[in-house]
Amino acid sequence: MGKGKDHGLSRCLTALVVLAAILVFTGLIAGSPIQASGKTLSIIVDAVADRADEAEIIATYLRAVGVEAEVRLWEWNALKDRLEAGERQMYLSDWGSAYFDPFDLVIPRLATGDRGNYSGYSNAELDHLLDKVQRLVDPNERKEAYFKAQDIIFHDAPWIFGYALNEVEAARVEITNWQPSMDSRINLHDVGITQGDTIVVAMKEDKIVTLDPAMYRDRPTETVLRNIFDGLVTRTWDGKVVPEIAESWTVPSDNTYVFNLRKDVKFHNGDPLDADDVVFTFKRIMEEGAIAGQTSPRAGLLGPLESVRKIDQYTVEFTLANPFPIFPQALVHFQIVPEGYIKEVGDSGFAAKPVGAGPFKFKEGRLDDQIVLERFEEYYGGSPEIPPIGIAPAKTAIFRMIPEATVRVAALKAGEVHIIQQLPPDLAVTLSKDKNIQIKSVEGTRVYCVELNCRRAPFDDIRVRQAMNYAVDWDVILESIYGGDAIRLACAFLPSGFGFNPDLAPYPYDPEKARTLLEEAGYSVKR
Amino acid sequence: MTRTQVQIIERILAAIPIMLGVVILAFLFMRMIPGDPVDIMMGEAGGVTHEEMASLRAQFDLDKSLPVQLVLYLGRLFKGDMGYSLQRARPVKEIILEAVPATVELALFSLLFALILGIPLGIASARYQNSIVDRIGMATSFLGISMPGFWLGIIGIIVFSLGLGWLPTSGRITYGMAPKSITGLMTLDALITANTGALKDALRYLALPAVTMGAGVAAVVARVTRSSMLEALKTDYVLFAKAKGVPDRTVTIKHALRNALIPTVTVVGLQVGTLLGGNMIVETIFGWPGLGRIVVDAIFSRDYPLVQAAVMVYALTFVVINLATDIFYTYLNPKMTL
Repeated sequence: MGKGKDHGLSRCLTALVVLAAILVFTGLIAGSPIQASGKTLSIIVDAVADRADEAEIIATYLRAVGVEAEVRLWEWNALKDRLEAGERQMYLSDWGSAYFDPFDLVIPRLATGDRGNYSGYSNAELDHLLDKVQRLVDPNERKEAYFKAQDIIFHDAPWIFGYALNEVEAARVEITNWQPSMDSRINLHDVGITQGDTIVVAMKEDKIVTLDPAMYRDRPTETVLRNIFDGLVTRTWDGKVVPEIAESWTVPSDNTYVFNLRKDVKFHNGDPLDADDVVFTFKRIMEEGAIAGQTSPRAGLLGPLESVRKIDQYTVEFTLANPFPIFPQALVHFQIVPEGYIKEVGDSGFAAKPVGAGPFKFKEGRLDDQIVLERFEEYYGGSPEIPPIGIAPAKTAIFRMIPEATVRVAALKAGEVHIIQQLPPDLAVTLSKDKNIQIKSVEGTRVYCVELNCRRAPFDDIRVRQAMNYAVDWDVILESIYGGDAIRLACAFLPSGFGFNPDLAPYPYDPEKARTLLEEAGYSVKR
Repeated sequence: MTRTQVQIIERILAAIPIMLGVVILAFLFMRMIPGDPVDIMMGEAGGVTHEEMASLRAQFDLDKSLPVQLVLYLGRLFKGDMGYSLQRARPVKEIILEAVPATVELALFSLLFALILGIPLGIASARYQNSIVDRIGMATSFLGISMPGFWLGIIGIIVFSLGLGWLPTSGRITYGMAPKSITGLMTLDALITANTGALKDALRYLALPAVTMGAGVAAVVARVTRSSMLEALKTDYVLFAKAKGVPDRTVTIKHALRNALIPTVTVVGLQVGTLLGGNMIVETIFGWPGLGRIVVDAIFSRDYPLVQAAVMVYALTFVVINLATDIFYTYLNPKMTL
């Protein structure tokens, strides 16, 4: 929730100026007292502190059409409990997608009763579509189903549809061949440095959770682990799945995937990687209590995977319970671990001193301090589709936890670190003037919106929900708070995800239309 | 066994019910905060089934009733098992033991800074009451109390790291410089292994966070020392010593200070407890891998076992510090008893 949105003073000031402007503007054109044609709509807008400015502006827009709106700030997990109980009315929320497919975004967020559906939205036709699309294999049919889903969601307006923020990252000019990736991971195998041979990355997190690739669910941990471990497949910065440890794969039937492994892959301890390690990796995740009595929290990410079988030393077959076309996208997130080493040192020994087949070896470190990696000299070279191929240019890679944004920027300016992620917009402006720093931004994969509680009045009325969408001018919000580093979304789908309909235009800012709809629903408005 | 020794043992035994109460309260309070740890653990992924969540809940006993959970927890605790972190997939004991040396080291250096600055400042202010020294000293200490840690820390980084380039912005030691780990305290390990390079490096990393954290404490120490010194300097025995012709310095240091230090020791004792808890703000700003950051993170992610264990460590710290303070009183003024 609200990942990495550090609010600077300048942004607060901009927000205040915008607020004042809206107030003056509405005052000028309104002038007249409230026209009472029905009851007044009164709403509390819930938000976490990270998005307080945004919530205030939204409330101001709502007041401009005659809604009594007030902002209340919460700690996210406390708020979530109330949302799930259906007790709140309107709330700012967000959700990240990792699969470049609506599978882990639209389904959990909008399918009836799913775990991220805090709006309580339910539409039988949409449920049917979302259920069907998970098993459809033909891309055209899938796309068609998703297009239909977008139309339904757009029309039903369970949220005030919002935006996706761009990921803004910065690096020192000494860093070469650096490209932020849309899934916000940093693969140091490709990155070079012209001064020295150590690359230091500052992470905004307090900690990563583990060094065992079977025991995490969060992106920051994965960012570090993917430099130590490789998967069967990986992803280009813009989301395309390409081979990594697998040389190629075939799909003999809708429910079967066969992966042919490279024969030149070695783990950091010298053991060769073969089909046994792949089978072991997946069984360790799928079987309950397989990791020193603990169960991996990652099993669900594999979808309907039923079994993994070795065919020969370099061929593995995956069997699914039902078709799951995004299986290769899912596999990007699974790193292959060494069977022999884990059986020798045990699961906790492995987590303390992990051995993988990735471009860097684990040297030392603490999860909440810094993780030091050293180049693996016998690396097979990485994905042939992501050049350069070969061992990593940097000899040492360090991931340092620096949770405070100002300090991350200071460390970058001082040259202590070379790459930082999630640069707040106000700091990006300052940094762009520094000639030792390069800044790049890439489309993000997190959807921000304002959810409306569809279970009860007033938002059980579609007209009120649509009115809310017409009442808010997102362009102003995105420009003033996020410096324009964001994409306005028409619906719950991301442009980078599969099945996005680029022709669907967002609700325009039309306060008059909002007033008409509110009046139709029986509420008084302000003109 | 002397009477004092018996009393110390009594005090230690009395700490056991306190600890138990603290543990039970922490256990109950954490569960009263809304939020589901398993849901938080799963993040924002698709394809999470209710069965998967239920099985994880069962794995951590979260599916059982509160009294049953408490009994299971206490049972394990008596065997020395503090549980398994829900978030960090590791035994809680390991996580805490790893963080404590960093916190202790920072606390010790903050305290050292506070005492070295605070006590002389307090003495000087009292000795030369209402002089320019006194006024400057008290104004500075007022500033020390008023400046919030996050502000002082950031200003320190801007001036000393970015501007002058003297000190690193954050972290604990330069990669490759760390001494062989014996106690976990970088400076102490560097001293034991006679590694001057590591010692210098560790001190450079310690300087800014220790000063940031110690500034407030120094201010309190200076003010308390000043007021109790003022009182002591007016007592009969000090006047008598002066009348006898004892040199001014001896009167101040030997006669007045020793008695005046009792309130200071009380205050310092309380501050040490707080410092050892790990200052979350300072640790966050300087990326210091201590206990404070872990606890805050654990509270936000509803990592019940980790929070409970940390609270227990805090309670134990306060009990021990209080006892130590009381013992120190008897040293300063042998007429006092425990």
